[in-house]
Amino acid sequence: MKKMEILEGSMAVALAVKACRPGVISAYPISPQTHIVETLAKMVADGELNSEYVLSDSEFSAASIIYGASAAGVRSYTASSSQGLLLMTEVIYNAAGTRLPMVLTGVNRAISAPISIQVDHQDTLSLRDSGLIQFYVESVQEAYDMHIQAFRIAEEDDILLPVMVCMDGWVLTHSYEPIELIDQEVVDAFLPPYHPVRYLDPEHPLTFGSYAEDNILMELKYMIHAAMNRAKEKINIISSDFHRITGHSGAGLIETYQTEEADIILVAMGSMVGTIKEAIDAMRTDGIPVGLIKIRCYRPFPAEAILSHCQNVQAVAVLDRGFSMGCEGPLSLDVKATLSNLEKPLIFSYIAGFAGREVTTETIRKITIKTMKATESNQPLRGSEWVDLNISIL
Amino acid sequence: MIAGSEGQELFAPGHRACPGCSEATATRWILKATGTNVIIVSPTGCLETFTSPYMFSPWRVPWIHPLFENGAAVASGIEAALRYKRREDIKVVVIGGDGATFDIGLGALSGMFERGHPILYICYDNEAYMNTGIQRCSSTPLLASTTTQPVGRLSWGKDRPKKNMPAIAIAHDIDYVATASVSYPKDLYNKVKKALSIKGPSYIQVHTPCCTGWGFPPEKTVEVGRLAVNTGLAPLFEMEAGEIISVGKIKEKVPVEDYLVLQGRFKHLLQSQEGRREVAKIQQIADRNIERLGLL
Amino acid sequence: MELRTSIGAIVEGGTSVNYKTGSWREFRPFFVARLAPCREACPAGIDIAHFLWEVKQKRYDQAWKVIMKENPLPSVCGRVCGHPCEQACNRNELDEPLAICSLERFVGDYGQKNSMSVPTPKGQTMGMVAIVGSGPAGLSCAYHLRLLGYGVKVFERATLAGGMLRWGIPDYRLPRTILDKEIERLQDMGIEIQTNASIGREFLTEGLKEFNAIFLALGVSKDLSLGIPGEGSPGVISGLDFLRQTKEGKNPRLGNRVTVIGGGNTAIDVARTALRLGSKPSILYRRTRSEMPAVAEEVDEALKEGASIEFLTSPIAITRRERNGMRMECVRNRLDKIGPDGRRTLISISDSNFSIDSDTTIVAIGETIDPEWKEAWATVDEWGITSIPGVFAGGDLTGSPRTVSHAIGSGKKVAMAIDTFARKLDKGFTRPILLGSLGSLSMAQWMDPSSVTHRNNEVVKYKDLNHYYFEPMSRQRMPQVSNRAMRINSFEEVNLGFSKEVAIQEAERCFQCGICSYCENCYIFCPDSAAKIVDQHKVVEIDYEFCKGCGICAYECPSHFIEMVREEK
Repeated sequence: MKKMEILEGSMAVALAVKACRPGVISAYPISPQTHIVETLAKMVADGELNSEYVLSDSEFSAASIIYGASAAGVRSYTASSSQGLLLMTEVIYNAAGTRLPMVLTGVNRAISAPISIQVDHQDTLSLRDSGLIQFYVESVQEAYDMHIQAFRIAEEDDILLPVMVCMDGWVLTHSYEPIELIDQEVVDAFLPPYHPVRYLDPEHPLTFGSYAEDNILMELKYMIHAAMNRAKEKINIISSDFHRITGHSGAGLIETYQTEEADIILVAMGSMVGTIKEAIDAMRTDGIPVGLIKIRCYRPFPAEAILSHCQNVQAVAVLDRGFSMGCEGPLSLDVKATLSNLEKPLIFSYIAGFAGREVTTETIRKITIKTMKATESNQPLRGSEWVDLNISIL
Repeated sequence: MIAGSEGQELFAPGHRACPGCSEATATRWILKATGTNVIIVSPTGCLETFTSPYMFSPWRVPWIHPLFENGAAVASGIEAALRYKRREDIKVVVIGGDGATFDIGLGALSGMFERGHPILYICYDNEAYMNTGIQRCSSTPLLASTTTQPVGRLSWGKDRPKKNMPAIAIAHDIDYVATASVSYPKDLYNKVKKALSIKGPSYIQVHTPCCTGWGFPPEKTVEVGRLAVNTGLAPLFEMEAGEIISVGKIKEKVPVEDYLVLQGRFKHLLQSQEGRREVAKIQQIADRNIERLGLL
Repeated sequence: MELRTSIGAIVEGGTSVNYKTGSWREFRPFFVARLAPCREACPAGIDIAHFLWEVKQKRYDQAWKVIMKENPLPSVCGRVCGHPCEQACNRNELDEPLAICSLERFVGDYGQKNSMSVPTPKGQTMGMVAIVGSGPAGLSCAYHLRLLGYGVKVFERATLAGGMLRWGIPDYRLPRTILDKEIERLQDMGIEIQTNASIGREFLTEGLKEFNAIFLALGVSKDLSLGIPGEGSPGVISGLDFLRQTKEGKNPRLGNRVTVIGGGNTAIDVARTALRLGSKPSILYRRTRSEMPAVAEEVDEALKEGASIEFLTSPIAITRRERNGMRMECVRNRLDKIGPDGRRTLISISDSNFSIDSDTTIVAIGETIDPEWKEAWATVDEWGITSIPGVFAGGDLTGSPRTVSHAIGSGKKVAMAIDTFARKLDKGFTRPILLGSLGSLSMAQWMDPSSVTHRNNEVVKYKDLNHYYFEPMSRQRMPQVSNRAMRINSFEEVNLGFSKEVAIQEAERCFQCGICSYCENCYIFCPDSAAKIVDQHKVVEIDYEFCKGCGICAYECPSHFIEMVREEK
C-alpha cells in the first residue's frame, strides 16, 4: 500500500485490470486506447497475465467477444474510444438488457466527422441511455482505483450491468503520474472471484436473448432501470468498502469540493475537474463563494446527491464536455431536470472543453464570474453557451 | 437408421416455426449430432425468432441469441471463456441464417476463422432475409424474386449470382468446410459429427428450402431440397485441409426447370419465351457446379 | 404459464412444450393402412406386405403366422402358384416384381422344418361339417372351419389325400413329402380325413342328418374330349390319367415321339414328365404363347428341358398307323377379332393342313365335372351357397380360373358361408371383408372384424408411393438344377429354394405398399418432433399436441401410409 510509482495512465489501467484477474480480454486498437491494450498484450505474452486475450476484427466483435465470455460466466474486459465505442453501442445495449456484467474503459475522444483525436465526452455520453453504468475519473490514480471497483460493481448480484470507466484521452492515458498501487492480496480481498448467477452451462440449459412481447417488454426494461437505481446505494457501499480494505479514496457517486457556504456550484466530470479545483482555490482566496460537485458516477445519475447539495444555492453552472446537437449539453440537461421544480438555483449550461478546446483556470474564472453576474441580475441563460467559441471563423 | 441418436430430442416441439420449416428439421439433426455438451449461438434470424418467444424455448441445450451480426464474435468469446475455465470439452456451435452469415456478419465470421477458434459455424441457407419478409440477400440465387428486388416491368428479380460463401470459408484455410441439405439429414448429421471432431474452425452450409418464402406447399419441402441437390444448384461436398474429400453424387441429373417450376419465386421465368431464355443462365450455373465438383 | 419477469429475459430451456402448436393445424396426418395390390390379386388373400416385412426383420415365425392366417398350404403355393400377386406388384414399374411365390415357399418350408403349428380351438363347439374332396379347396375349407371352431371330416375318394395336388402335379414341382407334411399339419389340428371313401349324391340328403353342413369340393376329373375322329385310338391317353399313373409308380410306355395337346399347367406337367420318362414331347397349342393358361415359368422350364411347342396349331384327325404309332392331321390357326368371351376368335387357315407322327398322344385340354354330379343343384353363387340349404360347392367344381390358389380362396369363402349359415347370420355380413375388387377375402378379418387394419377398398398404386426412396435392385433368381440331363433323369425338385440371405435380400425390395415400412422418414423429417418413435420396434405415433399439419410426413412416406385429413372445426 505504500508503493508509489511514476506510471503512464495507460499502464496504470492495465495494472488495475491485471490485478482483477479477468478471464477474457478482447481488444481492437484505436487511439488513444492503444497503450492500454498493448500493455495488457505484453503482460499476456510474458506470462504475467493469465487471461485469454482475443484480438478482434472490429470493436463490434471485441464487445461481442466479451459479451459472449460474460454469458459463459467469465470476468471479461475491453477498452475503446470514440468511433470504436459507437461501434460497440449495439452490444452495450444488448449486454445491459441481458444483464451481463463486463467492464470497459471508455477513453474519451471526439467523434468523427470531422475526424479528430481531441478530447471530449460525446462518445461516452452517447451511451447514456443504454443501461451502462458510467464513471468519469479525474486522475490516473482515480482511473486505477475505479477500474478495480468497476468489476465488483458490475458483478454485484442485484446490479449485473456493464460498467464503463471513462477517462480523458491523452490527458490521462498518456501522461505520467505518481501512482500508489494496491497489492494483489488486497485487491483479491476486495474483489473475490466471479461466481455468475446464470451462465451458459450444459448442466443447466438456459436460453439467453428471448424476444419479449408488449405484455412483458416494458417490465423487463424497467428492471434495468430499477437495477441502476439500486446501484446508486450499492456504489456508495462498495466505495466505502474499497476505502476500508485498500485505504484509497472511497468517494462514491459524487465528490464535493468547497461546497460549504457556496453561492455558486460548478458541476463537471473528468480530468478538467483538476483544473477547476485549482481555479476554485484561487477564487475562494478572492472571496468568491464558489464550490464544485464532481460527478463521478454519471449513470445512474446521482440526482438525490445533486438535489441535496444544490437546492439551497443561488446558481449552478454545469460544465459540459459533450453536447447534444440541436439542444444542450447533456450533463446540464440532467442537472436541470433534477432541479427543475425549484425556484432557486438558476442553472447555467456551459460547453467547455468540447472538441478538445482547452480548459484553463482562466476559463473557469470567466465562467464563474459570468454566472455570478447573471445570477445577481436574475438573468438566466437560455440554452448552452459555447465557451471560447471563435465566432469570427464561423 | 442412425443408431443411438434417437430418443432424446434436444430441440423440443412447441416452437413457432412455419409448418414445414426445414430449419427446424435441420436443427433437430444438428443437435442430435452435437449432443448435450454444447453451447449454441444463434444470431437474429428465423431460427432465433421462432425459438425464443419469452418463456417458450425449445432449446434443451444452452443457447444464446446476441445480435444479428455478431454470432461468430460472441461464439469466439464463449470459446475463449471455456478455454479459460479449462472446459474445452464443451463445443461451441453457431447456427445462423444466410443473412447473418453472408452479409451482416461476414466480418465477424472472417475474424473467427482467421483467429482459428475451434468453433463450428453452421449456416442454414434459405436464400433471403426470410424472418423480416423475404428480402433479397447476397445468398439469393440469380433471377429469384424477393420483396426488395421483385419481378416487375423492368426487373427479372435478382440480377447477380449467389455469393459463394463456402469459397470464402475455404479461402480462410480452415480445416473443414462442407455443404449439406436438409433433404439428406443423415449426411448433415455425419458432417456435423465430423466437423466437431476436428480442432479448429469449421463451416457447414445447409440448404434449407423455405415454403413460405419460396412459394411452394409445405409438404414439398424435402422434395424441393432434393431437386436442388439433384439439379446441381445446391451441390454437396466436403473439404478437409484444402482437399475435397467427398461430393454428393447425383444419381440422375434433373433439369433446372423441374426445380424452378415448383417455386413461386421463379414462376416469372416459366411464363414466357423470354423467361425460359433466362432459365438457361441458371442451367449454366448448375452445369458448372456439376463439372467443377464432379457430381455426376 | 403465468407471466413472470426474469432478469435479462433469460428463460429455462425446453419450455416451448407449454405452447401447443397443434392448435395451428388445418390438416391432420393419420396412419392409414391401405391395400397392397399384391394382396388384392392373391386369390388366397394373404397379407403379403406384412409377411414380407416379417421376413425382412428375420422374424420367420411371425411371417409364417401371417401367411397361415389366410392360407394353410404355403409350401404348396410357394411351388405351384401362378402368382398373380407378382403381376400386380407395384415394383413392376421400377424394375422387377418381388419374387413373392418363392418367398412364400421359403416361409412355408421354414414352418415345416421347424414343425410349426397353429393354435387350434379345443373341441368342435360350433358343429360338424362334412367336406367331400381333399384337394386344395377342401383342405382350405377344412382348415378355416377348424379355426372357427367347427369339427371337420373330409371324405376322400382316392387312397391318399390331396386331390389335384397329389395326382395332378409331378414331384419335381411339388415333392410328395412336402405335400404330406402340409396335410399332416391339418390332421394334427383335429381334421379327420377318411380316404377310400366313396360318396354319392344321396349324401346330399343323408349327410345333412349327421352334419350341419356339407361342402362339395369334388374338383373336376373328367377330361374334355378333343371331339375329333380317331381320338379313341390306342395311344391317345388322358393327361390327368397319365400324371396319376406316374404318381402311382406305374410309368406307361410312351415311345420316343410324344405329342401333347393343350396349353395349361396339365399339358406342361405332362410334357416335362414325358421328358423324364425318356421321351421327346412336342406340345401343340391352338393359340399363342401369351395366351397359354400355364404358369409362364413352367413353360420356360419345359422348353429348357427339351420340350418343343407348336403354337396356333389344332389337331383335326388321328389315324392309327400299323406299326408306327399314329399320324395326326393338324391345321394352323390364326387369331381374328375379339369375341364375346374377351379373347380373339380362332380361325383355321384353310389349306394349312400338315401331319405329325407320334407314338403317344396325350390330351390335356381341360377338365369337366364328373357327370354323376351334374345338375346336383339348381344354382350356386359366388360364395358357394347352392340352392340346397346346407350344401355348399366350390373350388374347381364351380369356379374359374381353376388354380390352386383360387381353390384355396374358394375354400375359405365357403368356410365363411358355412359359418354364416350355421350361425344364422345375415348374409350381408360377409360383404365388408372383401379385399379390393378381385374377390379375395381375409379370414383374419372375418374372425375379428376389429382387426381390420387397413382400408380394404383403397388399393395403393405406384404413383401413390414416393419413389425417391427406392433403389433399382434386381430380383433374386431362384437357384435351380441347371444341368438338363441331371434334371430329366429324375423327379427331384428342380427349383432349390431361397436361402435365408437371399430371402432377406429379396424381401428388402418390397415397398410395403400401404403399410408402414419403418423407414422412419416421418420421424426424420418432422420439423416439430411430432412423429415420435415410441418403442424399440420403431413404431411411430403422431403427437397431435404439436403437429402443425405441414404434410411432409405424408409426402415423404414411401409406402403411402399417411393421409392428411382436414381438421374438423
